[in-house]
Amino acid sequence: MSRTDHAGPFIGRSMPRIHDPRLLVGHGRFVDDIDDSGALHAVVLRSPVPHGHIVAVDCAAALACGRALLVLGPDDLELLTDELPTAWRIPGQRARTVAVAARTVRYVGQPVGLVVASSRAEAEGLAELVRIDIEPLPAVLGLDAALAEGAPLLYPEDGTNVVGEIHFGDAPQELERVMASAAHVVERELTIQRVCHSPMEPRGLLAEWIPATRRLTVWSSTQSPHVVRQELATALRLRVDQVRVVAPDIGGSFGGKVTTYADEVMVCLAAVSLGRRVKWIEDRTENLTASYQGRGQRARARLALDGSGRFLALSAHITGDLGAFPIQAGTGPFQVTGLALEGPYRFERAGATVTAVHTNTVPTGAYRGYGMQEAAWIRERLIEEAARETGRDPLELRLLNLIQAEELPYTTRTGLGYDSGDYPAALRRAAALAEERARPSGDSVRRGVAVTPSVEITGFAPSALLEMFQIDWSGWESVRVRVSQDGTVTVFAGVIAIGQGIETTLAQIVADRLGVPIDWVAVELGDTDTAPYSDLTSQASRSLTLAGAALMQAADRMRERMFELAAYHLKAPREEVVLEGAEFRWPAGRTSLAWQEVTSRGWKGWGRSEPGRIRLEETADFDPPAITFSYSAHGAAVSVDLETGEIAVEDYWTVNDSGVLVNPLIAEGQIIGGVAQGLGIALTEEVVHDPVTGHSLTTGFTEYILPASADVPPVTVEHRSTPSAVIPGGFKGLGEGGVIPGPATVANAVAAAVPDIAECLTATPLSPARVWDALSATEAGRA
Amino acid sequence: MKSVPFEYRAPATLEETLALLGKPGANVVPLAGGQSLLPLLALRQVRPATVLDLNRVPGLAGVEITDEVVRIGALTRLRALVESAPLRAALPVLPETAAQVANRQIRHRSTLGGSLCHADPTAQLPAVAVALEARLWLRSARAERSVLAQDFFAGARTTARRRNELLVRVEFPRTPGRHCRFEAVTRRGRAGFPLIGLCLAVSLAGSVVTDARLAASGIADRPRRLWEAERALTGRRLDGDLAEVLDAASAEADPSSDLHGSAEYRSHLLRTVIRRAAARLATEGSAP
Ligand SMILES: Cc1cc2nc3c(=O)[nH]c(=O)nc-3n(C[C@H](O)[C@H](O)[C@H](O)COP(=O)(O)OP(=O)(O)OC[C@H]3O[C@@H](n4cnc5c(N)ncnc54)[C@H](O)[C@@H]3O)c2cc1C
Repeated sequence: MSRTDHAGPFIGRSMPRIHDPRLLVGHGRFVDDIDDSGALHAVVLRSPVPHGHIVAVDCAAALACGRALLVLGPDDLELLTDELPTAWRIPGQRARTVAVAARTVRYVGQPVGLVVASSRAEAEGLAELVRIDIEPLPAVLGLDAALAEGAPLLYPEDGTNVVGEIHFGDAPQELERVMASAAHVVERELTIQRVCHSPMEPRGLLAEWIPATRRLTVWSSTQSPHVVRQELATALRLRVDQVRVVAPDIGGSFGGKVTTYADEVMVCLAAVSLGRRVKWIEDRTENLTASYQGRGQRARARLALDGSGRFLALSAHITGDLGAFPIQAGTGPFQVTGLALEGPYRFERAGATVTAVHTNTVPTGAYRGYGMQEAAWIRERLIEEAARETGRDPLELRLLNLIQAEELPYTTRTGLGYDSGDYPAALRRAAALAEERARPSGDSVRRGVAVTPSVEITGFAPSALLEMFQIDWSGWESVRVRVSQDGTVTVFAGVIAIGQGIETTLAQIVADRLGVPIDWVAVELGDTDTAPYSDLTSQASRSLTLAGAALMQAADRMRERMFELAAYHLKAPREEVVLEGAEFRWPAGRTSLAWQEVTSRGWKGWGRSEPGRIRLEETADFDPPAITFSYSAHGAAVSVDLETGEIAVEDYWTVNDSGVLVNPLIAEGQIIGGVAQGLGIALTEEVVHDPVTGHSLTTGFTEYILPASADVPPVTVEHRSTPSAVIPGGFKGLGEGGVIPGPATVANAVAAAVPDIAECLTATPLSPARVWDALSATEAGRA
Repeated sequence: MKSVPFEYRAPATLEETLALLGKPGANVVPLAGGQSLLPLLALRQVRPATVLDLNRVPGLAGVEITDEVVRIGALTRLRALVESAPLRAALPVLPETAAQVANRQIRHRSTLGGSLCHADPTAQLPAVAVALEARLWLRSARAERSVLAQDFFAGARTTARRRNELLVRVEFPRTPGRHCRFEAVTRRGRAGFPLIGLCLAVSLAGSVVTDARLAASGIADRPRRLWEAERALTGRRLDGDLAEVLDAASAEADPSSDLHGSAEYRSHLLRTVIRRAAARLATEGSAP
């Protein structure tokens, strides 16, 4: 290590991520990089139909050739596995578990079995020999089909395709009362497409069962090792202490790797059955067609204003496409849409009903922005339309209704308690930036800008809140700091590195608090044998907020112990000892002792101040008193080609407040990455199913169109900093904020560019074909 | 995903290559840049017994320019087309169009022959070959023959190439005084597969069109000449009223609908790219 910036302070410093050099030269250690010599390879058998009863899975031909080591079908799976638990349900939801064995298939791509052979190619060849005999049932594709009179039912025993329903905020009749007497009401139906997480690294695992010790080790591309460990233990009928889950380098997850999938259980079952290592790497087609997806909802929403433009009420009925069955927290994002609908504004009344619906498609669940991007889409499109319809300036309308700095803390109608910040200041700054960036329209190209404020739930916790909602997760985070004999420092945390740079920011915090060079610090994450327990880990903008807070506490205690030890050995009064350049000094006594000498003596048990505390380890559990909220304002400048419907985002800027930033460079990377993802949702990404066969039409990246670097404009990121009052260190999260206001901001900029089509901008993605459809119905498009 | 098992051959001579390709009953697939073939193999949509790697065969790549033709070896990389200075001077529409295919990394491997033989109905270069009346030279162990580009493309991913034939080179006639443009609207952004692509080639007397060639991709299962539009354009000013040209083109096009857009949208885009190509040629022109 040749880092020159040995000396702190480290908190607040923009520094490159510690792991970047290794990853950039190809020395990543992802699941597929782990030595797999001798391992067997699995291929997942998947349903070719969207709905049907499995009559038989005939593996005779595959087994007859002698090259298949194992073929698992529904019979074996039913015999050998239990169902996976769920964590967050919606009232009315009957299913509390996810079956590993499928007798009835309910989406194309649903795993029904597994073939194991000595190589992947061999296994794929054998899989072609397996005959899955299915008696097809009528399928339900899309929300309209699911809710239609006499629709085929995915679960006839339920008598409906509706999974469950919940209402947040003011009661429906109260909302109706306000709507009825309002000077102006805007109503729209607003839709958000289904999207794929599209991590650079798809899912994958290498499972090893050692028969002698009866222990299962699973290297898995997961963002939730402890949850996967428990889920696997349940499904495989093992004790938790028989299962170790290790997450090596993870190439992105975005919410798609938060739970155990049925196919992953099958791979582990194969390892247990064979007593061999079994490997499975998901391919891109599987990732795009069979991995759980995100978004997929429609809202009928209304905004009521009084004669002076004040927001009287916001009301929405949100219908979410849950797919074939509720996964771990399948309805969570729909529920959060309702909960977070109000955003940074004051409404006299607000409420949302959320209905989750089954369809014969891939189940949906967590996706970066978790309900909040959806809420922003509904709210900000409505506000923009209200401004247009009432002839008001959209910025003025927003500023009039934003929660003012002096109104914080503020409780929304749905019960969210915003803590701190200055929302109007962020929006004003974004609007000022917009003025500098507006560019003129041409003959066939129109230009427009828009700015959108947002507030986001970060550091999702506390455990008591989860208990209140009866969500079967804990909310706390835990961190252990060890100072070893040689003076080096290791941080163990329950959060996990998924490419967001948490290893670096945790190292910065501990180096800063202890006063040691940062290259003495190692951060160990992702191994259930050593990582502190965590359910939610790095989801919900939690990693730095909660693990960082725990680390502040653990490191400060460790620092105090080090000073006490040093004082003992220097024979100095504690308060006269100083630490400079990794050397403890007592200026008055002219004595000094190296940090390493103190740690070495500490581990020998010499000079301890408390009888029972010897190991130089400190653990801190942190469960925050409340959610802490980040906020931002995003601005976009777009051009709309009136001839082709193509939208180009020419400029993009954000003003963001996530409290104290440990590493502004990483913060900027998180925001820019989120913006790019938001642009994908706004403009190009969409899972499309054939309405007849139920097969996905977006099976690769030529059909499922991600933004490439050339499609993303330069993004300006400005920061404000209002330290969180509920998080030690003052941190607030920023993992998701970048993605949240983007689609609404882009659509509103398009509306500004071509007001004639503003009313039609009700669904993403705003693909050229969709925009052209809108344009061709107007004067502008016929020009 | 992994391909079906296949035999891999990488002969070092054209004779051996053609002999392997001509083995009766053999299911042999030539491999050029692999940018289309390898995904198809991995997805098991192509299931050959033998993959015949062309990359060691000498003499299949290169650009040769005479007074009459531009002759390009089938194995010439798109990157080489983009960067060839003589080609830029002789037939600039080729490097300009090649630069719109995929991205730099993929153009580094992709070949002209592969792009034509793959015969994607939306691809750029096949439309250019059809518009410019390129001649494709196909060789088997026994004989060599040539077909015009417009006869080569037989449908989506199907061509007039026989199984025992290799595309060895492509000849683009040089027509002094002709100006060409390729204009496209893509599925997204600056590069990548077009929704609609159009190659327009015109000879001019002043700004009046004396001869016109139009071929489009994305309007049918193969790139198509727009004969009626050509007739309508001839004798007209490029910067004049093109309504008749556009109507003729619309009547000739037979696009289909898919998740990227409706047939109606594609028909509209065809009109747009014709207008744009004409406008650009009228104002900027191009080298002959
Ligand atoms: C991300 C991505 C984006 C792309 N974007 C575009 C795009 O915008 N436009 C576009 O046109 N293409 C695009 N392509 C396709 C790319 O340009 C292909 O490489 C090209 O179409 C085929 O050329 P190749 O040399 O790679 O051929 P290969 O993949 O090696 O072969 C393609 C087919 O042609 C046959 N073949 C190749 N050479 C010969 C020969 N000399 N004689 C007989 N048969 C032969 C092969 O057997 C095979 O069937 C894209 C590809 C990728 C991966």
